[in-house]
Amino acid sequence: MQTSLPSSSPGSMKEHCDHQVDCLKMIQVILDGQATEQQIERLRNNLHTCQPCIQMYNLEKEIKQLLNGKMEKKCCPEQLIASIKARISQFS
Amino acid sequence: MSDTPTRDEQDRPNGPTGPDQTLPEGVSADGTPTEAPVRRYTDEQKYAVFNKEFMPHIDSMYNFAFRLTMDEDDANDLVQDTYLKAFRFISSFEQGTNAKAWLFRILKNSFINDYRKKSKEPAKVDYQDVETTYNSEDAETEHTIDLRAESVSDLIGDEVATALNSLPVDFRTVIILCDIEGFTYEEMAKILDIPIGTVRSRLHRARNLLKEKLRDYAASMGYREQNEE
Ligand SMILES: [Zn+2]
Repeated sequence: MQTSLPSSSPGSMKEHCDHQVDCLKMIQVILDGQATEQQIERLRNNLHTCQPCIQMYNLEKEIKQLLNGKMEKKCCPEQLIASIKARISQFS
Repeated sequence: MSDTPTRDEQDRPNGPTGPDQTLPEGVSADGTPTEAPVRRYTDEQKYAVFNKEFMPHIDSMYNFAFRLTMDEDDANDLVQDTYLKAFRFISSFEQGTNAKAWLFRILKNSFINDYRKKSKEPAKVDYQDVETTYNSEDAETEHTIDLRAESVSDLIGDEVATALNSLPVDFRTVIILCDIEGFTYEEMAKILDIPIGTVRSRLHRARNLLKEKLRDYAASMGYREQNEE
């Protein structure tokens, strides 16, 4: 989801979030692409007013990107592919 | 936020070793289809389905197998077993449906039934123990991990992989399926044979565990970002 984060305007920002665990769960559902429009709208509000929610959102997003982008992705060995094809060709 | 996902402490997952989980849905132990309609593929069609729908997922399958077993030989065996099973039970696969989820489910069940017991992973933490601990009252006064995005952004792939690999296998699994393979909660529920609520709560817990590991890495790097600023 692309949510542009507001540059912090000090006075209006909540420094403390009363629903941190619930907010975190919601943020994860949203980043996983499984949220309803209503949930996304709600988060958008939070991201304009709640400092801890902004931080949680950034962290969750960063970790998701680490997992998806930075970890080595192996290719299946050619030998294994050949072996599987050889085995199933004997099946019929 | 009030419309958060419903708590699901009650909906216990099926045990990891329930009866007959090796086989694809709709196939009984002797290979005869149960509920799923049989698709009478000709031999030629079988090979076509296999090559067109199953083989494109082999790299993802291999990565999944490797992350589960953390051993190349075991990953090889597991992928081969899975593909042979998939071919044998191909008549219970409906062309055009989600082949990747179908294959992942077979692989996961093969792993549980055939590999987990003889796994080389030392001092394995059993899934039940972990889930019980995390379901206990104390654990439910849930917490968030004190960690900043900036602290993890400099971690390299190997460090992330090590952190992920250090998680108990059931927690590792949900992160792989969701964050690396991009399955939906619904697909994960089918692959893992657990309710969607359990998928969500297990994922939440897995991510907290992962963040604790990443926090330790970030700390061991001496908060080098801060020093650089
Ligand atoms: Zn908040």
